[in-house]
Amino acid sequence: MTHDEIINRLRTMMKQSSQEDVDWDVVGEESTIESLGFDSLSILDLIYDIQQELGFEFEAEEMINIKTVGELATFLEEKGA
Amino acid sequence: MRIRHLLEYLGLRVALFLLDRLSLSGAQKFASRLADSWYLLNSSRRRTAKDNILRSGITDNPAEVNRIAHESFRHFGLLIVESLKSEEVFNEDNWRSRVEMDISPETMAVLNNPKQGMILVSGHIGNWEVAAQLLSYIKPVVGITRNMNNPYTNRLMKKRKPRNRFRLTQKHDASTGRFLSVLRNGEVLALMIDQHARDRGMMIDFFGTPAATHTSPALLHLVTGAPLCFGYCLRMGPMSYRMKALEPISHKPTGNREQDVRAILEKLNGELEKIIRENPEQYLWAHRRWRNLL
Repeated sequence: MTHDEIINRLRTMMKQSSQEDVDWDVVGEESTIESLGFDSLSILDLIYDIQQELGFEFEAEEMINIKTVGELATFLEEKGA
Repeated sequence: MRIRHLLEYLGLRVALFLLDRLSLSGAQKFASRLADSWYLLNSSRRRTAKDNILRSGITDNPAEVNRIAHESFRHFGLLIVESLKSEEVFNEDNWRSRVEMDISPETMAVLNNPKQGMILVSGHIGNWEVAAQLLSYIKPVVGITRNMNNPYTNRLMKKRKPRNRFRLTQKHDASTGRFLSVLRNGEVLALMIDQHARDRGMMIDFFGTPAATHTSPALLHLVTGAPLCFGYCLRMGPMSYRMKALEPISHKPTGNREQDVRAILEKLNGELEKIIRENPEQYLWAHRRWRNLL
């Protein structure tokens, strides 16, 4: 998957577990995960979906310092998504 | 509102001042009498406790319901006193002599491994406050807390609560990675399974009645693979406890998030029910666990 394709997949997954009413069409590289309605609890739903839908394993703890959608996409790209 | 908060704060300061100066047995007597009065005067909490006992099906005998509810209030009074006194009584060298340990070897191996984080799930049974302190003699423990409505008492209790290597983190916090950090740091993340989860929980049977249950213990296990254990700390006598931790639950994700989470939470609720049935007097029945039904 390309970086942009990963971002599109993430957008769909985030939409399912976000706690906020977000304009998902404008969500991009720079959008922070927190601003999209994720906190320390709801992020777990997202991590589960990423691990299962993208079909590969990674340590959830590796995501601790990831702040933006772009950083998350890069992380997943490096993991082989 | 500010005056009410200040009066509550003053009352708490006076109570803590007295408790700090009373001997342990004096403080325990004081707490029991206070709990008796609270049971007599607080009709709303008394009713909640009785309704919850009846709903649990533990007994339908009115006299027995009343006895369990009353004992539960007394137990809670003792819990507060013993939690506040615990730092005077326990230290790294003596705590094992007053605590009977019944921890599965697999769980003990995790506790003894400083690099491995662990999710420890419990409920409002026994003395969960002292449990955190005792466990922290083996491994650092992080508990979840919610700010009190009164900012003055909140500040005061925050100063009093952390003991030994037990610290607290806020329940509601935007920082997405903080629970993951606790596990990565090799600490114990202590979570209560029987708190009402409002609209963010999953409806899971508790004594046969659906209750909004937090999904975080299950999800944390599913996404990190960190050992997930159920445990509790029963009061056996004055400042004397029995700590029990079962062997870790292991559940591999199947791809169906809801089903995975439900399976784990049902198991955890089942374990909690079991220990409450054996020790109903040590459970906090006055807590509105089935708030969704009211």
